[in-house]
Amino acid sequence: MSRRERIWVQLGCIAVSLFMGVPLYLITLAALSSRESLNEFPLPLLPTSLSGETMSTFLKSTGIVGGLVNSLTIGLSTVVLALLLGLPAGYALARYAFRGKDPYQLGLLLTRALPIVVLSVPLGRIFLDVGLYDSTYAVTLLHTALALPTTVLITSAIFLGVSREQEEAAMIFGASPFAAFARIVVPQALPGIAASAMFTFVLSWNEVLGASILTLNRRTLPAQVLATLADSPLAFRFAGGLALVLPALIFIAVARRYLLNMWGTTLR
Amino acid sequence: MTRRTGLDITQGLSRRSLLTLGAGVAAAPLLGACGGVSTSGAEGGEGSVTLMSNQFSPVEERQRFEEILSKRVTGEKVAFNQVETGIFSSTLQTQVDAGKVQVSLVGALHGDLAQHKDRLIDLDDVLGELGDRGFATDTTDLAKLGGPTTKYVPWMQASYVLAVNKKALQWLPSGVDVTKLTYDQLLDWMTAARAGNGNKAVFGIPAGVKGLYHRFFQGFLLPSFTGGQITTFRSPEAVTAWTYMKELWAQAATASTNYDNLQEPLERGEVLVGFDHVARLVGAPTAKPDDWLMVPAPSGPKGLGYMLVLAGLGIPEGAPEADKAKEVIKALTTPEVQVDVLKANSFFPVTNAQIPGDLPGAVALAEGAVSKQRDAENAILSLPPVGLGARDGEVGQIFKNCFKEICLDGKPVQQVLDAQATELNKIMDELKIPCWQPDPAGATCRAA
Repeated sequence: MSRRERIWVQLGCIAVSLFMGVPLYLITLAALSSRESLNEFPLPLLPTSLSGETMSTFLKSTGIVGGLVNSLTIGLSTVVLALLLGLPAGYALARYAFRGKDPYQLGLLLTRALPIVVLSVPLGRIFLDVGLYDSTYAVTLLHTALALPTTVLITSAIFLGVSREQEEAAMIFGASPFAAFARIVVPQALPGIAASAMFTFVLSWNEVLGASILTLNRRTLPAQVLATLADSPLAFRFAGGLALVLPALIFIAVARRYLLNMWGTTLR
Repeated sequence: MTRRTGLDITQGLSRRSLLTLGAGVAAAPLLGACGGVSTSGAEGGEGSVTLMSNQFSPVEERQRFEEILSKRVTGEKVAFNQVETGIFSSTLQTQVDAGKVQVSLVGALHGDLAQHKDRLIDLDDVLGELGDRGFATDTTDLAKLGGPTTKYVPWMQASYVLAVNKKALQWLPSGVDVTKLTYDQLLDWMTAARAGNGNKAVFGIPAGVKGLYHRFFQGFLLPSFTGGQITTFRSPEAVTAWTYMKELWAQAATASTNYDNLQEPLERGEVLVGFDHVARLVGAPTAKPDDWLMVPAPSGPKGLGYMLVLAGLGIPEGAPEADKAKEVIKALTTPEVQVDVLKANSFFPVTNAQIPGDLPGAVALAEGAVSKQRDAENAILSLPPVGLGARDGEVGQIFKNCFKEICLDGKPVQQVLDAQATELNKIMDELKIPCWQPDPAGATCRAA
């Protein structure tokens, strides 16, 4: 790369980082500013009037901690369940040719084609009838259903990149098919698995409507606060925004280390 | 990627990742073992009354109401669930229709409850025991939702008023009493204020996506000019009213189409005079009540049209704790709770509760304006639409459409009203319901 190209690449990186970073900075700043200072014009871009008051009022609302626990439970359970169901499906799609493979892949995406709002009443009714209504299990099941298509498609793409010969070699040296899958294929496919886990977690974390329909007393954090925040003063919207963004960011930061050589490129 | 490094990574990560994965698999069901953690304060299980409401959505209002509940409703444990209107409706529908009801008490606006008329039990017995509360007949009639029996017990009420920053008074034409404005005086004032303020408009209405500006046309402007709402929809007086609105809009801040509530633009000083729901205005004067006035809505040729906002408490068919819910209704209509709710959240008593003299500044301003409005000699009371049920939103949309086409798009007034009247009559002809105030009660309601 010439010097000039490198400069352009650097500038591009800076632009992308700013694109993601500036809104986060502004939300954090506003969430930790005093309420009066948000009515000033122009708004200061540096932390001049720090105050934790709105944030602590927000965090003290009923159900914030409970909602956080529920959201984490549902998010992690959804990741586990979606991987348990999605990995074998993705593997089958990558390794075997079978009749109707393409329509099957397309059909997978159809679960995302129906908006939940259309399904809200029947969905609520089914969960009431089977007795799962108002529990984290209900929301986990719904989120798993929503996440499966992306899990299957992402992992099948990544399994395609894992060499079949290594797997066969392992079996020649005495590994059972499952052991070969677990010890040879899965580790090499980890980046893709991490990526799909991230998608799944963030999807579950952000999903509001389904969670609001299926729960009443045991809500997820977004379902608990999002409607409230829309009608609250500006200061609380920023505080709530920060509280909703942070856990997802932490999860992404943790899962990111498995993202190295995702889709065949080396990131580190 | 060479095969070599691929295998190295494999070995470096496999144990750690398997451990992580294992921990995750083990932890998730453990966390989920109890089906989740309660987020509504009280455990929504045995014996507690789950109160679902679409009111008190702002964070602080909700916290203050929960405080009132825990302080004043001591007999029963109440789990307060605040939900959006859409979720409120679908939850109530799903639970009652499935016959597995978990909500014991619902609290919402008249219009939100009206569409679930058949899903609520009769509350004549509760209302009968509450004779000493002194509910107004207007409200208890509304609570029948068009049938012979009481479907909800009035909970609290509100209205819409004008908030005025005292800075704007410098442009008030001489000889005009700000507490007894007419619509023409308001227009002159706002025109003068805009000129005096360096051509920057000072008047705002909540014309944002979630704003309640259609209520201004339904309950204030049109009744004041025409004496009716539906029957007079395209009368010559209605044309005058909308022509007036066009002139007023020309003097209003164009950013109004972004305002969902006016207290924030007022507090920031973007606008100085604004019309909105009391609960969406009261935040503006909270910090400095002395800088503000709240005044009744203006009067028009027919009088001072104003709209009553009524919220009620109902019990769903098949509620698990119906008897306890009835006790909670009784507790929430006691004078103490009614006054507490007024002080904390600016919703007004529906009972004869004595309003104390020590109200917080902003609430006292609001209370003054609302009672002046109600007691004005030329007052014309508008009720929220009675019997529209699920079509309430559609009828509201027709008034919003009129505003958009007349004021924003500048289309001819009569033409717009004729077109929208056809739409309105399509709905009204399907429903075949009698008119409500201020339209004359009688045969089926439709635009003449």
